[in-house]
Amino acid sequence: MSTSRLDRLRSRSRSAGRRLRRETRALLRIARWEVSRGTNSFDRRTAAVTVVVLLVAGGVFGGLVASGVGSVGVDSGLYRVGVAADSPYHDPVADTSALAARPPAEAEVVDGELRGGVDLLVRDGAVLVADSQKGQAALSTFRDAVARYNDRRLGEEPNRGAAFPVLVTLRYAERDSAPTLASAGGRSVDDGSSGSEASSDSSDAGEPGASGDSGGDGSSGASGSADSDDAESGGTAADSGADGGFEVPGLGSGVLRTESTGSPADISPPFPFGSLVLAFAFLVPMNFVAQAYGGSVLNERVNRRGEPLLVTPVGPGTVVAGKTLPYVLGLTAVSALVALLVGGGPLSVAAVVPIALLYLAATFLAAMFARSFKELTFLTVTVSVFLTSYAFVPAVFADVTPISLISPLTLVVRDLQGTGATLGQYLFSAGPFVGCAAVLFLLGVGVYREEDMFTQRAVPLKALDALDARIRGKRSMLTLAALSIPFVLVAELLVVAVLFVLPLELSLPVLFVAIAAVEELAKSLHVYAGFAKARFARTVPTALVLGALSGTGFFLGEKLFAVVQVVGLPSLTVGRAAFESAGAGIGPAVSPATALALLLAPLALHVVTAATTATGASRGREAFAGAFVLATLLHAGYNLAVATVVSGLV
Amino acid sequence: MISVTDLRKVYGEFVAVRGSSFDVEPGEIFGIVGPNGAGKTTTLKTLAGLVEPTSGETTVAGYDAADPAMRSHLGFLPEESPLYEDMTAHSYLRFFADLYEVPREVADERVADTLDRLELEHRDRRLGDVSKGMKRKVAIARSLVNDPDVLIYDEPASGLDPLTTNYVLEFTKELAAAGKTVVFSAHNLYHVEDVCDRVMVMNRGAVVARGTVPEIREEYGITEYHVYTTVPTPETAPAGERHRAVVESMDAVEIVRESAERAGGIVDDIRTREPSLEEVFLDIAADGDALGPRTVDGETERGTPDGAPSDHTPDAPEARR
Repeated sequence: MSTSRLDRLRSRSRSAGRRLRRETRALLRIARWEVSRGTNSFDRRTAAVTVVVLLVAGGVFGGLVASGVGSVGVDSGLYRVGVAADSPYHDPVADTSALAARPPAEAEVVDGELRGGVDLLVRDGAVLVADSQKGQAALSTFRDAVARYNDRRLGEEPNRGAAFPVLVTLRYAERDSAPTLASAGGRSVDDGSSGSEASSDSSDAGEPGASGDSGGDGSSGASGSADSDDAESGGTAADSGADGGFEVPGLGSGVLRTESTGSPADISPPFPFGSLVLAFAFLVPMNFVAQAYGGSVLNERVNRRGEPLLVTPVGPGTVVAGKTLPYVLGLTAVSALVALLVGGGPLSVAAVVPIALLYLAATFLAAMFARSFKELTFLTVTVSVFLTSYAFVPAVFADVTPISLISPLTLVVRDLQGTGATLGQYLFSAGPFVGCAAVLFLLGVGVYREEDMFTQRAVPLKALDALDARIRGKRSMLTLAALSIPFVLVAELLVVAVLFVLPLELSLPVLFVAIAAVEELAKSLHVYAGFAKARFARTVPTALVLGALSGTGFFLGEKLFAVVQVVGLPSLTVGRAAFESAGAGIGPAVSPATALALLLAPLALHVVTAATTATGASRGREAFAGAFVLATLLHAGYNLAVATVVSGLV
Repeated sequence: MISVTDLRKVYGEFVAVRGSSFDVEPGEIFGIVGPNGAGKTTTLKTLAGLVEPTSGETTVAGYDAADPAMRSHLGFLPEESPLYEDMTAHSYLRFFADLYEVPREVADERVADTLDRLELEHRDRRLGDVSKGMKRKVAIARSLVNDPDVLIYDEPASGLDPLTTNYVLEFTKELAAAGKTVVFSAHNLYHVEDVCDRVMVMNRGAVVARGTVPEIREEYGITEYHVYTTVPTPETAPAGERHRAVVESMDAVEIVRESAERAGGIVDDIRTREPSLEEVFLDIAADGDALGPRTVDGETERGTPDGAPSDHTPDAPEARR
């Protein structure tokens, strides 16, 4: 390398370094300014009231946590039970908060009937019940209390086989391991790693000793165990295998995990309610912080207040980063605090930060699109409801199905349960959130300029402006299509999550069309924006070139983001149907020629359909809508063909 | 200091600025005038790097206007004074000085000096609580925190009372005297006439006149000759004890003189009246329709707009009336 070239390189790197340092200083300056403005905008009284409210809320929440959430004593001492202190029933009553033990002398017994004083009377081994609804409720609670007490006592017995002669082994099978649409014989897609087995396995439950093998493969379902003292009795989800399989805490999964016995009485729904309630605590502060952030961004646009900033040497990206940094750090700190309170670890915080980023990114874009604070409120509420639902609902099924990992909140649930997560699971969960947040910020920064910031246009038109701002030429079609992949992944996972509870006869056809529509929209929206903004000549050859570039970009992005393989999501039938068209799941049994064809077929599909929509876009809105429908149908047909011919799903 | 060549800005189908070209010399105050929607603000924002031109070249202080490095040499005052109202004048100016990387000591001194020169009171009061004139002064002070070479002021006296207006205009002259180059737009043409060394008149997105105020007046204004005679003639009307004819050329004056002599009288006084810039401006603006439609399609149909300069000769008035 010549000396002059080296000098040029050194000079460039020095210049880049100087610029980086300058931008960093500006970023930090803007961040400090944002913090001081944020604190100045609160008067002392509001700040004091806020602190008090937060302390009260924290205290209440802490109390809930300390008391075990579900065992909050709202019904404490509700039912009075007359029972002697030396009665064997006294302890079960005393151990149950809803029951209050009273001396039998308080009971009013007339003609052998309990008339008052207490709701139940335990006397001479018999139970007298007051003739009222409350008496009946008290009796029911009393029975439960005695049963729990007995189970607990039996659980303490060294000879568990004697204590629990009847054991139940629960093995939850994935629903789509049941027979598929056309195959009556049933073809299990279970790969053995998910903790689910064919439902016929449940017949083992009654066989002596069949329950003792829990965790043998590291991933089996929950089971009560009569002879394995070292195994966690009841088999909660905590013993998930190293392969990250999922299983269901069928037995002994109380609101917060409690001792369980393996008795049939311990069977409970496989939902981690306690962990979910605690995980939800991470989401609550995000709504408040996002509101403040959105208001701050919109404030820059009101009356052109932010215009002078745009004339400084600081770039718009630095301005946005500086304004956003305090909110990111704030949410991270709050998440760490919540994690500390609810018993979460670094995984919880690491899982929540991507959600926080997406909250802020979506709010930022909403604030860049909104025409007024009123409109911003509507948009942020929409964002909040959607993201909260998207994060929370899948987490309900954290112990049931791997698809719950589409939400990073599932990682929080697993962290709170002590299950943990693999790196692949973390990337699968957090990747789309971080990707979406990055792209949303990118689009928002694109319109953080005088020409777009201060114009008043409807939100859809602003969205087109944001896409248009990122178009530099025809090659931008390739980039923008690839950048749409995180959104496509989120949307498709959402579709899969919604549809997987439906019968396959209904879910698969809807899935094919929905997936096709999502992808066609992702490939065509920026092309439409380009034509709408007169970036390109409205000719067929131009449209075909743009469509080909967009289709190719989408194909490349899709390949790059094929993380679905990481956690074996395609093991679900609906998951396979969703991602098969992308070339996922090509097995070793396929010949090289077929594999190549299967690899390139999606490319051809994306190019053809994107060219179709691009041609429509070049002719105006109505033609675009028609072309979009046509491309969606074409794409859905392709998906169906792949599922039928290659995968044999249908 | 500033060079603009064939600047053109199109928003969708709307042509905001069509092919304007001009130069501004160092230390000069250059005024841009024109009716609402003429393209003045778009031109100024293009110079400030806020608006990306559709085509054309714009150089400010030796940098392309789109180059972020240019902004270190620029002070921009928009038409409104949007300030962060929860800040004080001092903290607001210090914040911007930081963004321009002005060293702390220099910034403190410069901010204090500028606020003194602008006679700004209530420096520690929230900007939301000060008067409009004070806000304008703070905005002007902000445009100076980086000690720029070029100042772009869009309607600097807009909405201010006469006293503050006069103050702002005098301050602008002081800045130019100190070597700053000022590009200045205003609706009030008396201000332009008072402050600017040279003026560019825009209408419907096109530059329609350019030069010093006398040059423009000479080129585009109509000088009136008030000819007073001792006797009535066909050209005159009674004016007190005498008779007066208002004509627009010396040939017409000669005709009046001959008529007076034929009637046995003489021309005893001739007075000339120069048009004001406002009258010239109104004349030019009245011809706006001749510039044609401001849509891309309209331009395509017409070819080059009538008012657009055909070459880049800054000091020659290039537009036709």
